[in-house]
Amino acid sequence: MEDKARTLRSRWWLSLIIALSIVPPMVIGSFWIQVLTEILILGMFAISFNLIFGLMGQISFGQGAYYALGAYTTALMLTKTSMAFPLCMVAPIVVSGICALIFGFFIVRLTGIYFAILSLAFAQLVHSVIFQWYDFTGGDNGIQGIPSPILLKNPFWNYYFTLVIVSAALIVMWFITKSSFGYTMRAIRDNSNRTGFVGVNVRKHMLINFAIAGMFAGLGGSLWAVFNHSVSPDLANWTHSGVPIFMTIIGGPSYFLGPLVGSIIYTLLFVFVTPFTEYWPLIIGTLIIFIVLFFSGGIVGTLELKIRPE
Amino acid sequence: MTASQIIGQILSGISRGMILFLISSGLTLIFSVMNILNFAHASFWLLGAYLTWTFWQILYSPNFGLWISIPLASLTMAAIGWIIEVWLVRRVYERPLTEQLLLTYGLALVIGDVIKLTWGVADRIVPKPKVVSGLMSIFGAPLPTYNLMVIILGVLVALGLWWLFYKTMFGRKVRASVFSREMISALGVPIHRIYAGVFVLSVFIAALAGGMQAPLSSITYGMDSTVIVECFCVMVIGGFGSLLGALVGSLTVGLIYAFAIMFVPRMALFLIFIVTIIILIVRPWGLFGTPMRV
Amino acid sequence: METPYKEMASVPILEVRELKKSFNGFEAISNLSYKLDPGELSAIIGPNGAGKTTLFNLVTGFHKVDSGTIFFKGKDITGLPLHVISRLGIARAFQVSNIYPTLTTYENVRQAIISQQGKTLNFYTPASRLAISQTVEILESCGVAAQANVLAGRLSQGDKKRLELAIALGTKPDLLLLDEPTAGMSGEETKEIMELVQRLNQEKYLTILFTEHDMSVVFGYARRLTVLHQGTMIADGTPEEVRINERVQTVYLGGEV
Repeated sequence: MEDKARTLRSRWWLSLIIALSIVPPMVIGSFWIQVLTEILILGMFAISFNLIFGLMGQISFGQGAYYALGAYTTALMLTKTSMAFPLCMVAPIVVSGICALIFGFFIVRLTGIYFAILSLAFAQLVHSVIFQWYDFTGGDNGIQGIPSPILLKNPFWNYYFTLVIVSAALIVMWFITKSSFGYTMRAIRDNSNRTGFVGVNVRKHMLINFAIAGMFAGLGGSLWAVFNHSVSPDLANWTHSGVPIFMTIIGGPSYFLGPLVGSIIYTLLFVFVTPFTEYWPLIIGTLIIFIVLFFSGGIVGTLELKIRPE
Repeated sequence: MTASQIIGQILSGISRGMILFLISSGLTLIFSVMNILNFAHASFWLLGAYLTWTFWQILYSPNFGLWISIPLASLTMAAIGWIIEVWLVRRVYERPLTEQLLLTYGLALVIGDVIKLTWGVADRIVPKPKVVSGLMSIFGAPLPTYNLMVIILGVLVALGLWWLFYKTMFGRKVRASVFSREMISALGVPIHRIYAGVFVLSVFIAALAGGMQAPLSSITYGMDSTVIVECFCVMVIGGFGSLLGALVGSLTVGLIYAFAIMFVPRMALFLIFIVTIIILIVRPWGLFGTPMRV
Repeated sequence: METPYKEMASVPILEVRELKKSFNGFEAISNLSYKLDPGELSAIIGPNGAGKTTLFNLVTGFHKVDSGTIFFKGKDITGLPLHVISRLGIARAFQVSNIYPTLTTYENVRQAIISQQGKTLNFYTPASRLAISQTVEILESCGVAAQANVLAGRLSQGDKKRLELAIALGTKPDLLLLDEPTAGMSGEETKEIMELVQRLNQEKYLTILFTEHDMSVVFGYARRLTVLHQGTMIADGTPEEVRINERVQTVYLGGEV
């Protein structure tokens, strides 16, 4: 009985989410459509981060590197080559995936704080390369005026384009979390020692997960390049890598869509706050401190406890 | 490349390294004793620099202003550090790693913006006191006297810390608590006071470095986010639990930076990260860290 | 992997020769040679520090030997990594429950089964569809089927131990190493677990080697007893033979034996 009630409730939430994602752009203005697009892209980025954090139990402070690589790959391909648009969306996934594989090979040999710091160091490496390689990447200025297919120049269609891709990505990630690979990740998170003893090559599995997360981060960057029409080295900086972490913690890492909830809260807050003040870091910093101190488990987690205290 | 140019670069690298050491020593202490990686530590440094500027502005005495401003700013920061430890940091000692990282990260954001709010984004400059504003000749190379003072201060702090942790009761208690927190509590030693003491001391030294930094180069909003990453590199290279490692790591980073700026200026940071990454791959616990900590 | 009893009988299932292992200058295992035949239910005892846990760590591949060789079912497994040895058929249950606390009891066991089957790189099939009957079978044989949907972290101590055993069984071992299986248990629970262990040994041809401090368990269930002391074997034989062994009596200061 309880199981049925749970499935019904999940189905209800799912329908709500689907309705909320399809309907609004038809009734709201262009500005808000762009806000929704940004929520989707960053939400997917955060959920990809959560593959490493919530599912596997490690903190990567450098996911921005793969996001940036995806963004720059798309940007460079669209501005400097005349390759077909779909290729410009697929190549970044490969690039960021390969990079995640190479960096990850070294990163997954460590855990905890060392994992975090090495992931941070590799990201700063990528950042400094993008920043300094003026001739190729535009350095400090980034790349502006990224062309996209005519249809997508309209924020309305770009939103649905993004929605389709993000939804597909989320479905894939959802299946991954429910698969035996996903459970192996949970096993590694809970007890990597025992996982080795039951016959799993822990490092190899961690590396594969890291590469997967990197690929989805790259996809996010790619979508961003198309949406924003410009990219900057900041995308690879550790301060940007903090964004998916914030979102995941705000929304709650134990729930698949938690980071998306975090993205909604973070992005809407950003949109409402920044017109009034330039002190966004102050606001978000205070919020983060507040949430860490008083809302362990994120917003979704705290709400869940209130609805069904156990 | 003349010999004196090389020596000049070495000395410049050392003085930069010394500032890094002052900041990193606190970072290392907080990590060793409380197991917290303090993202906000360079922000304390920068805040100390700005406070020094403000005090100097108020006092406005070309000869003595700085000598008074720096200690004043450092003590003010020590007080602020104490408040932060009691109200914020103390609450996350028992929490998982992410929450600790996020707390100090949030703190870094807040302090960074407080600086922007209070002092704006314009560069601030504090002139060097007349007494130490000249040039000296070290082994034939010209070195600003002030830089030499920074180097000497760094050495003094290093010696002071060594004395504190190996020759005093407080230091012994701190080292014992690093070894076993439970045992120390059980023996009746007030753990919270030790942690607060370590935190306040670390902030004080960082602020001191900030004060020393002010006349070295102009100070700007945002310097803290680049410096904190350099400090992480220092800790990786030197080893996470080791003050000696912090010293060696800082000098290494300072020297890499100084020489890179000369030959391949655009690759300076890149080189530092490469060295950091190599160390993390080959010897994750750093030059002086203990392998068990991985 | 379950090898038929008859095939196994000719070759010792486990053989270690002249094993040596030191940690930071402390010699945990010094020149240990030991043989275990298929189908045995044997115990290893010895004071703390005698090398029992180290032996288990070496056999399972968790630590590398300094010198010596380890043979499993006649094959040299010295130096093979942990997960490879596990797949070859050696499983271990730990003294302090080494389970997955945020997964349910069911998921804990299923995870072990999936791992042994090599299905951990499947990215699309929902795990809930895999290994259902095998999981249920093991849960029932270990007596934790009723707790299938309980989070493992919330189980009672006794159930955790049972789950501990179930996870080890999930990897379909031919050789099962048990680290103090009855530690912290009441008399009733001890009897239950050891009878289960005995059943597994007799019905599933599972070779079992366990360490214990509780002598009544050793004498009640083990058919063979080996005594370690300071990294070497000082006695080996049936429990009765070992009991009257003078050297053993000296080592235990006439206490427990």
